[in-house]
Amino acid sequence: MRSHAGLTSVYTDTVGADVETVDGRGGSQSRLGRMTRAQPLGAVGAVILLTMVVIAVAAPVVAPFDPTLGDPAALYAPPGPPYWLGTDAFGRDIASRLIYGARVSLLIGLGTSLLGVAVGAALGTVAAYRGQWTDSIIQRAMDALLAFPMLLLALAMATMLGPSIENVIVSLAVPIVPRAARVVRSSVLVLRSTPFVEASRAIGCGDMRIIVRHIVPNTLAPLLVIATAYLGLAIVQEAALDYLGAGIQEPQASWGLMLSGSATSLALTAPWIVIFPGLAICLAVLAANLVGDAIRDLLDPRLRRDY
Amino acid sequence: MDTAGFRLTRRDVLRTTGSLLTAATLGWPTRAAAQAAAPKRGGTLRVSNGGDPPDFDIQQTATYLTQFLAAPCYSTLMREDVSDPTRVVPELIERWDIAADGRTVTLHVRKDVAFHNGDVLTAEDVKYNLDRIRVPPKGIVSPRKGQLANIESVEVRGPLTAIVHLKQPQPDFLFLISNPFNGIYPKKVVEPLDQTGQGMKRQIVGTGPFRLARATEGQIYELVRNEKYWGPAPYLDRMQFFPIKGEVERAAALQGKRVDGCFFFASESVLQSLAKVPGMVTLRRPNPIFINLIPNVTKKPFDDPRVREALSLAIDREAFIKTVGPLAGAFYHSLGLMPPKSPYSLTAAEVKQFSGYDTLPGLGGNIAANRQKAIALLEQAGVPKGFKIVIPTRGDVPAFRDSAINVSSQLKLVGLDATVDVRDAGAFYQLETKGDFQIVMHSVAIAGAQPDQILGEGYTSFGGRNYGGWKNEALDDLYRAQSAELDAKKRVEAVRQFQLAFLKTYNQVNLAWVGYAAAHASTLHGWVPMTDLYNNMQMSRVWLST
Amino acid sequence: MLAYLTQRLAVGAVSLFGVAVAVFLIMRVIPGDAAVMLSGAGGGVVSEQELQDVRHKLGLDRPLPVQFADWAAKVAVLQLGTSLRTGNRVIDDAARRFPYTLQIVVMAMVLAVVGGIPLGVLSAYRAGSWLDQGLRLVSIGGLAAPSFWIGLIIILGLIWLFEWSAPLVWEPFWVSPLQSLSQLVWPALAVGFRQLALIARMTRSMMLEVLGEDYVRTARAKGVAEASVVLRHGLQNALLPVVTVIGFEFSALFGGLIVTESVFSVPGLGQYVVDSILNRDYPAAQGIVLILASFVVVSNVTVDMMYGWLDPRVRVQDA
Repeated sequence: MRSHAGLTSVYTDTVGADVETVDGRGGSQSRLGRMTRAQPLGAVGAVILLTMVVIAVAAPVVAPFDPTLGDPAALYAPPGPPYWLGTDAFGRDIASRLIYGARVSLLIGLGTSLLGVAVGAALGTVAAYRGQWTDSIIQRAMDALLAFPMLLLALAMATMLGPSIENVIVSLAVPIVPRAARVVRSSVLVLRSTPFVEASRAIGCGDMRIIVRHIVPNTLAPLLVIATAYLGLAIVQEAALDYLGAGIQEPQASWGLMLSGSATSLALTAPWIVIFPGLAICLAVLAANLVGDAIRDLLDPRLRRDY
Repeated sequence: MDTAGFRLTRRDVLRTTGSLLTAATLGWPTRAAAQAAAPKRGGTLRVSNGGDPPDFDIQQTATYLTQFLAAPCYSTLMREDVSDPTRVVPELIERWDIAADGRTVTLHVRKDVAFHNGDVLTAEDVKYNLDRIRVPPKGIVSPRKGQLANIESVEVRGPLTAIVHLKQPQPDFLFLISNPFNGIYPKKVVEPLDQTGQGMKRQIVGTGPFRLARATEGQIYELVRNEKYWGPAPYLDRMQFFPIKGEVERAAALQGKRVDGCFFFASESVLQSLAKVPGMVTLRRPNPIFINLIPNVTKKPFDDPRVREALSLAIDREAFIKTVGPLAGAFYHSLGLMPPKSPYSLTAAEVKQFSGYDTLPGLGGNIAANRQKAIALLEQAGVPKGFKIVIPTRGDVPAFRDSAINVSSQLKLVGLDATVDVRDAGAFYQLETKGDFQIVMHSVAIAGAQPDQILGEGYTSFGGRNYGGWKNEALDDLYRAQSAELDAKKRVEAVRQFQLAFLKTYNQVNLAWVGYAAAHASTLHGWVPMTDLYNNMQMSRVWLST
Repeated sequence: MLAYLTQRLAVGAVSLFGVAVAVFLIMRVIPGDAAVMLSGAGGGVVSEQELQDVRHKLGLDRPLPVQFADWAAKVAVLQLGTSLRTGNRVIDDAARRFPYTLQIVVMAMVLAVVGGIPLGVLSAYRAGSWLDQGLRLVSIGGLAAPSFWIGLIIILGLIWLFEWSAPLVWEPFWVSPLQSLSQLVWPALAVGFRQLALIARMTRSMMLEVLGEDYVRTARAKGVAEASVVLRHGLQNALLPVVTVIGFEFSALFGGLIVTESVFSVPGLGQYVVDSILNRDYPAAQGIVLILASFVVVSNVTVDMMYGWLDPRVRVQDA
């Protein structure tokens, strides 16, 4: 069953989502070793991502310096001891800022994709399950959000809400909602008419119970794939928001923030100030996408039909 | 062109009459270096501006984006001398008389000056413009109205004579009307436009050496030579302005020879990389723009002078200058409130008696001791440790953003939990206009360096830059006293008294002064970078060699 | 078909109305209004009275529903109003800027198609090999880097390596094609990499699916040349969904250029809409967002219609 609505939803984003990957060899291997062999890139991605999460969580222990206090005697220090990745214009250690920045950037990535996908999934499920007016209203609202250029919507929301981690998460999550809702809605429509759901209904199960027990578990796979894709997208878009001046508050560090403000003009004489945060973003997004690809291939070969 | 033209110093104002030799000798003073080679006529000067000018109304604007583009198209009544910024020379007036009481200034308007539209300049135009600046019509905003607030009325007596009645004598008056934002409009054009609230935002009609030929938003703004210019004919055929927002991108355009000059950079990093390019002239100049820490005295605990004093103590000015200097051009400092090397500067000893100012470069202060004192003061004032301070700032200007970042980390060292709230310009203005903030770091750009400009605009309760909302009649009286002081020596003393009194209040805490950087191809000649950015677009003597 | 088209267009109109309401509300809720920006508040404290006067002149002191009704009524007859910032009609500003954005989008898509399809075919043909893994890594990498970062590196690279920067005088493509290409190829590169990645991956997965089909096996068994199997039997049949992606990406790109255009100082729609938001230029921001949204709506409908038309196997359905 190929749904057009689903197609539209996936392709109206603009910056980095890639929920369409299909790997022809998707199988049902379940052993970690075989998974790694089948999806070496996915395994690499998972290791990178996990390492980043661990470093982020352990930031106060791992980071050699305070990320917000600068050393006035070491402005623009090039990479070398004791500042292994150099310092920025305020004499702040880039390595420490990257480590603390991982907290913010990963939190935004995770928070955004979880929030967006969860709200979207809830709306999509309700829409598909209730049908009729509820469906129409939700659908039209989602259509309007979809027609709004994604980054522009996030920018307008972030400017409206003001800068903070929570607001950035909300701003970036809003454009994800309709996209997730569309995908979930089409899977739920399929599920709704499957024999096991119909059987549950026949034995008198309530809507809520059917949704929680049967529908939700069966939509988890596509949701997980979308979530990993949007995780990477959110990190990139947070950087774009910072660049446009509507992101996180200084002196808090985020990778995007480290690339914005005066950073670009320093690229000429102190390139390490922009190179390392840029690399960190690339690496994290790359890892998230690799993991997303692998999950898709491993969990649900059926998805290849929905892109 | 060998005469130095007519110049006016502050002391000259005390004489009651200024006059002019002959029209032929009028002009800008010679600059031996710039005119070593014979100027070449013709050519297109391509410069890059930092973005699109929001509008063309030079009297209503406060941004260099508009000022740079419009200034070559307008003349002012008088203007700053290119060779000596402490003097002003007449421009659209030929001469002036000041009555014995010091309160009546008669302006004799230059004959046969034509606007770009062919209208001839009259005293009516002069009156309309002065009135428009000091009491703008409804819907028109005049950021510099305070500077002409001492005008009681303007009277037209004959086609070429305007008489300005002042409320009290004001030796700085002629400097105030020479403000490079005070370009003169034709009354016939501007008056109806003012009724609509539009003003001169969409057109340029002036008497300057260039006129606007084309404006394509986002792409190009082109000025062409005004063939009917009243002064010496400009050398350049045309000037093109390209809006490029990023400094790096602007530097790339300069290096790739797509533009000949860029007259305003902030970043030292960009300047240094351009300095290495062969055939590129780079420079940095101080500018009467200062960066102040402005506490909102209407909000607790900043109504307590001890808290404000603690803020001053907490900031290591030398470290601030070292950090924010390369980012925003804030390399300079002064003693007291007046610009660096001003004749009104205080002495080191005078400045050091105020908390925190001893950390200015070279004054030998001990920041660790200062911070101890700051912590003690905060404790006395009952400010808890870890007290939260949010510093709103605008993300698009390094002088604001990077100052705030540096100050927030310095405030942490005295136990204040300071964060920076980076907003876009619109949201920042809103917070600031409504007084909805605790502290702002503010770069204050006032064209002009006279006490009535710097102090009047920046340090009086009625001045345009009183963002912190303080009130102090005694200070305002001290300001008025110095403003009216005709005796130069006594004036210096009066300005000193004002500064000492103000510094004691910590209503604003001065941290640094900003300079601007510029870079241009060595084929550009005759452009004189002044000690005031806004006076830099005197373009009629600029020429290009090949 | 006609009924379906009518229905889709009606739904599209409803979406656009939703967008109109949303963008209107967001613009009004963003702190700092047009009056504050137009008064050049950076020049000093502007009194509330002065701001009120400016608001009154602009009609911004009327109740929000009245302002919205006024604006919506004009939009309904295709009048987008006058920009507060430039003083031009929004539609004229948009028309002048549209060609540059369009050109970047077209160039980026051409780049993506020309590069992405062969890469995808190659990747699928050697599925599972290290070549495949390598190509996948590169294509995912294309999605990973922030476009402004790539843009900055392109600008600096050109200046450092070739002492060259793009011309600043903008002419549409049809006036001076070469100059136009030399200006816009860089932003197209900066964003096109992502589209290339998307198309390569889409091609790869469709190819894998098609190459497994019976008729391909049959062709191979019959001894048809390998190139012909891959290209004629494989690619031809795999291409339809790829074309769909191209269609969707095409419309989405218009709104996706906002950062890239500003890095390269391209006088396009993206930069215009960002400047409009930052300057609280309500008519311009609202108008351009509506235009961009209608691109998306129209292209979605078009792609859907085309899809049903090109591939009769697919039943048009709007469940």
